Amino acid sequence: MPEFNVRSDSVNVEHIMEQIRARIREKRGVDYTEEQIRELAAVKLEKFLDPRGVRSDLLDQFRKAMPAYEPPVLPNYSFESDTLFESHRGIIRFFRKLFHPLLKLFLFNPNPLIRALNIQSQLNTMYADREAQRESSRRAMDQLYYELIHNLVLELTRTGIEVKNLKMRVESLSSRLEFNERRARALESAVVYKPSEEERPSRPSPPAAAVSPQAVQTTPQPQTSSPQPPHPQGGVPQEGPGQRSRRRRRRRGRRGGPVAGQFGSPGGSPQPAIGTTDGPTEAVSETPTASATPEPGAVSVSSASASDDRSDATSGQALGAPDAAEDDAPDDDGAPDTGSGEPRGQ
Amino acid sequence: MKVAVVVQRYGTSINGGAELHARYIAERLARHGEVEVLTTCATDYVTWRNELSPGVEQVNGVSVRRFPVKHERDPRVFGRRQERVFAHRHSIGDELDWLDAEGPTTPALVDHIARHAGEYAFCLFFSYRYYHAFYGARAAADRAILVPTAERDATIGLSIFNPLFRNVRAVMYNSPEERTMIQAVSGNESVAGVVVGVGSDVPSNPQPGRFRQKYNVRGPFAVYVGRIDENKGCKELFDFFEGYLQDPHGKLSLVLVGNSLLPIPQHPRIRHLGFLNDADKFDAMAAADVLFMPSYYESLSMVALEAWALGRPVLANGRCDVLKGQCIRSNAGLYYDNAQEFAETLKAIEQNRWLGGTLGRNGRQFFREHYDWPVIERKYLDMFDRVRHAPAARAIEPLPGWFDRRRQDLPAAEEVLARLPTGPVTGHRQPDGRRWA
Repeated sequence: MPEFNVRSDSVNVEHIMEQIRARIREKRGVDYTEEQIRELAAVKLEKFLDPRGVRSDLLDQFRKAMPAYEPPVLPNYSFESDTLFESHRGIIRFFRKLFHPLLKLFLFNPNPLIRALNIQSQLNTMYADREAQRESSRRAMDQLYYELIHNLVLELTRTGIEVKNLKMRVESLSSRLEFNERRARALESAVVYKPSEEERPSRPSPPAAAVSPQAVQTTPQPQTSSPQPPHPQGGVPQEGPGQRSRRRRRRRGRRGGPVAGQFGSPGGSPQPAIGTTDGPTEAVSETPTASATPEPGAVSVSSASASDDRSDATSGQALGAPDAAEDDAPDDDGAPDTGSGEPRGQ
Repeated sequence: MKVAVVVQRYGTSINGGAELHARYIAERLARHGEVEVLTTCATDYVTWRNELSPGVEQVNGVSVRRFPVKHERDPRVFGRRQERVFAHRHSIGDELDWLDAEGPTTPALVDHIARHAGEYAFCLFFSYRYYHAFYGARAAADRAILVPTAERDATIGLSIFNPLFRNVRAVMYNSPEERTMIQAVSGNESVAGVVVGVGSDVPSNPQPGRFRQKYNVRGPFAVYVGRIDENKGCKELFDFFEGYLQDPHGKLSLVLVGNSLLPIPQHPRIRHLGFLNDADKFDAMAAADVLFMPSYYESLSMVALEAWALGRPVLANGRCDVLKGQCIRSNAGLYYDNAQEFAETLKAIEQNRWLGGTLGRNGRQFFREHYDWPVIERKYLDMFDRVRHAPAARAIEPLPGWFDRRRQDLPAAEEVLARLPTGPVTGHRQPDGRRWA
């Protein structure tokens, strides 16, 4: 999404308005031209008109509900030139025709009446046929409209579901983005210093008291599984390069999402916690390992950010679950490390 | 040099746009010569009821001569005649009837102008649409200068005004859009004209803090100043602003200054302060982050100019050509055509401090270049000189005779209006190289 990139004192309002409108277009989606809209409409219409495009039996049900149309038989009459003089008796028919000229001469002329009724009869027939045709075509159109609306409803429902899914994806992505930004800020705020191989032995080893009891506690575990080379400074067996960080990540992931993972664990201030425990063994078992043992020459992010989330630290303590047990236990929430956006490779 | 300023209403308590414009101009021109205001006894532009005494009085050092209105406006008759000339085929007689119904019908004022025109060097007629301008300019055509204050509404499509635009000595336009519109409808390109507008007495040291304290206004806010009316686009403004309030990132409140003819939405971030005096009004504008100008029809927005004079950006309705043109030419305001644009432009100003500041600085510069009082006065005096040395004006076209007045051959005014060119005048420079006002 483009931000305003006019950063000088001389602004151009028209240019800014173009940018704003472009941003609106981006938010709204693709702007179709009138031609494209017509094209799309035509495509959809073809699909609707194609019987293979119908995806349910609702149309059949509609047809069943609507009985087939049969044009009603409307009463009509036929009126020809001799209808007035007709009779089932031949003699009467004869005399009527015989006296027809006298009728015309002395009483009235029936011919216009005959002509009018004849025309009316023809019109009646014609209109009845036309009405029947119209009704049948209307019913056919009704079916087509029903089909069209039905398909529109289906499409709209599907589109709605898709929109919901997309919204959820956008929310998920934005939360991940937010987490990554916070992570980046935290990383930038920390000082990362890694000593060279030559500097490492020359640095004074931490006093034995400063070594975290957690480190002491965790020492035997790797030995039981697989022997590790001895620790260069304290004789503590060295963990594998990614083992500690993996364990730390897993633990943070369990403790409460991105904030806890990002801004450190209770281990950020380990010594007071140790001091409050009754004995060294309990202290060892309850003290988290994250940053408890400062790696020589490296100041981790957690040391800078441990104070940022005291509440999380408290909750982590309150759970009281031994870290060793946590470390060994599988992730019961089943969430992968990356699912909570945990940083890698710290 | 004696100048007559002819306007429909006049007084310190009258705040209508054209009337205020006329008063400012009269008071400023009074510093350069003798000015007499010719006006009516009315104060209400709806009824034109005679509420002031006829005769001569002094208002802020300017002589004002008032004439009684012959009859008040009958809204039903006026509405019926307006419907006829705006929407149907009609005659010149219908248009003259409409003008008479609109008012303020002041034959005494026109008679005075006809008898005493020779005493004035120039007669400045404000608001082309009213009786006094139409007949007054005909009575003193050889010294008539028109300040049309024309908006883009159907009145401009009435044919009786075309000879008026063509036969006055000069036209003082408020904006390039107004000039384009009038020239398109009347073909008066040969008449001397200049885009002038009007200045404003903006205080040099407004006190935004005092306003916030006095009215307990906290946080950033946008301000609307003027009559709160649907015709001014306020209903649309409320709708759009309520849409903006849905955005959790938006922090601006809306402060409304002016008398309301509309129900104000009930929301904690919308406040209506009512009518304020000038000091408070300017303090409010100085304290605001942005000024809203939602009107659809304007010939010149004095409020927008005042906001610019105070260094504040303006968010205007883009469907008003004049406002949009002013924003583009000044580079001091944004504009919107719909709710989305409203929200986005408002957010742009709110979230980019540099943008609001730059727009405000541009506005201040724009005001100083084009609307500072010395600039306005100079333009008027230059125009007087120009007209004085120009050849005598042609005789004004007479009104048609009895039969011609009744010939139903004129198109509806709305049809004429629809044919007129639209859009802002976006050229940033005048032919002489100066930026447009």
